[in-house]
Amino acid sequence: MALLKKKTVRSVDIPTASQADLAFLLLLFFLVSTIIDVDTGIGLTLPEYIEDPETVEVPKDRMAAVLINENGDVLVDGNPTSIFQVKNNLKPRIVSKIELPSNKKLIVSVKTDRKTNYNAYIQALDQIKQAYFEVRDEYSSSNYGNKFNDLSVEDQEIVKDKVPIIISLAEPEAVKK
Amino acid sequence: MEFQKKRAKVKLEIPTTSMPDIVFMLLMFFMVVTTLREVDLLVEFKLPEAKAIEKIENKRLVSYIWVGKDKRIQVNDSIIKMNEVQSIMYAKRQSLPNIIVSLRVDKGSDMGFVTDIQQELRKAYCLRINYSATVKI
Repeated sequence: MALLKKKTVRSVDIPTASQADLAFLLLLFFLVSTIIDVDTGIGLTLPEYIEDPETVEVPKDRMAAVLINENGDVLVDGNPTSIFQVKNNLKPRIVSKIELPSNKKLIVSVKTDRKTNYNAYIQALDQIKQAYFEVRDEYSSSNYGNKFNDLSVEDQEIVKDKVPIIISLAEPEAVKK
Repeated sequence: MEFQKKRAKVKLEIPTTSMPDIVFMLLMFFMVVTTLREVDLLVEFKLPEAKAIEKIENKRLVSYIWVGKDKRIQVNDSIIKMNEVQSIMYAKRQSLPNIIVSLRVDKGSDMGFVTDIQQELRKAYCLRINYSATVKI
């Protein structure tokens, strides 16, 4: 006797209707936990550490001494200045030295007291950097018709050569007791 | 006259079969750009604001030093002392020669303290630094 096999076709589909929901859930998790944090800040290169550095005299007209005391008062070359005027003060001096050889460019020396507030120091440094960036931008737009950041790498190098950022950090004076 | 109801003869359905694919694509993007916080911050600090800000393009080179309101220094996952900065940073520089040290210093700190750290960094030959600051609007 032949056995009649009864075949029942079961559906073996995995339900995919909720797949989108699952994916959304994961997506939400990553959306929430993402910190796209870009590091921003003021870049600087420190000088190498030398035990007893030899001092070199720098001609006065090459130097711009920015002094910030513990009260946040700013002196530029001995003249009291508002911290927001530092940029305007330095810009013409940087511009006037664009065409000079690289050993005659302006050096900005920043000096603080040990008790000076860090924020005041950053504000001053920011002003100095802004002065340099604006001079670079102006030089670029008058010579290449574009802002510094939009120039090609070679042109940027030329501008960097013309307007180098030289910032000297003097060691803070100990606060007199 | 009676109005005859007109039924649309076209089926109006937005195909949703590809929705998971799109969502997965988004998911992949966020998975890739996500950096889950690597270190627990042990110090409290508020960054100063500045305008002339540069971005650090190469995040791989960056190493952080946090300085909190209470003058504690954190490197990696632990609070360290001032005289340990040099050896730790020197070891870091050994493995990553062109390291950029990002100083995340509380804006109320004294310059003397920051300068001391800078001196240690100079001794450790970590010369490229970055004063971390937020964008002033």
